[in-house]
Amino acid sequence: MTAFCLAPSVAFAQKNKTGTKKKNVVILPKITVVNGDELKNLLKSTGKPLLVNFWATWCDPCREEFPDLVKIDNDYRGKIDFITVSLDDLEDLKFVVPKFLWKMKAKMPAYFLKTVDEEKIISEISDDWQGGLPFTILYNSAGKVVYSRAGKIKTDILRAEIDKTQNSNTLETQKVSPK
Amino acid sequence: MKKLNVLFVAILALAVLAVTANAQFKIGSEVESFTLSDSNGTERTFDGLKGKNGTIVVFLSVRCPVVKAYDERLNKITEDYSAKGINVVGINSNYTETAEKIKKHTEDNYKFTVLIDKGNVIADKFSASATPEIFFFDKAGKLVYHGGIDNNKNSEEATNNYLRDALDANLAGKVIVKAETRAFGCTIKKQN
Repeated sequence: MTAFCLAPSVAFAQKNKTGTKKKNVVILPKITVVNGDELKNLLKSTGKPLLVNFWATWCDPCREEFPDLVKIDNDYRGKIDFITVSLDDLEDLKFVVPKFLWKMKAKMPAYFLKTVDEEKIISEISDDWQGGLPFTILYNSAGKVVYSRAGKIKTDILRAEIDKTQNSNTLETQKVSPK
Repeated sequence: MKKLNVLFVAILALAVLAVTANAQFKIGSEVESFTLSDSNGTERTFDGLKGKNGTIVVFLSVRCPVVKAYDERLNKITEDYSAKGINVVGINSNYTETAEKIKKHTEDNYKFTVLIDKGNVIADKFSASATPEIFFFDKAGKLVYHGGIDNNKNSEEATNNYLRDALDANLAGKVIVKAETRAFGCTIKKQN
């Protein structure tokens, strides 16, 4: 993967309790740049359910739903894989996108899709994705799409779908486990 | 148990209706005329806005940066194809965008009429979900192309001009090779 990682440190001027300005240096989240083929590799099954959120900082519902996605990541970490894929403009890769992820306290692996053919990628990801952001897709542990949502997620429904993948995983494990 | 059965039948019926509604609008489907207010508040019929050789319907948004990225291309298409008898009609179905903002945005940016689709009735009828999303109807009113304008929001990087290719093919009486593509952009903010 010819990935390009960013983890810039940025100084923010913040007022402390006494009202004086103080510079705080923060490490912004790492973002890995991927092309279409690299993205498709990321979506291949690793034996765990995989949740993918396609988003952009310019997309209002993407920003609105992000805190819920961060909560889902916190609640299901280790049980599922969860990645975010930004379709922002390249000029926003260095600061705007990582700053947003930092503000959201997002810990899930963050990717940035760099492509010259948005239409091709979208049509390859899902038949149910007309192209609008946000788009969220859930694969079960076998790599099969079990849920997708174009537009803002409905948290309860997404959580229920993730839980279903957990239950089916347990059943599969029971089937193959020796007594 | 009886209640459960009734509930199951009702859910099944709704599911069938939903599938049917989506299946109703596909390549080859015919558009029936509808009436909506334009950005100036004047009632307009779709039939009155149609071009003699076809009509491009584009779902728009005031706020979506991808739509903004396509504004110039849409105006150029309007200029290039109005002379060939193809009209462009914009539709804004986002409940989050006010009539005042749509009016100002239309005046500032577009060379074509923009209709306001309150309650996203037409967006639902067309199964439109994104902006900018294109529906091109031929002179008989049949949907012959659906999807994006091209394959990149940055005009310099676009390599496939899907909409122009479809328009040119249709005007020349040829089959549109790629009649369906995806429309990268923002989701339409629907009321329901």
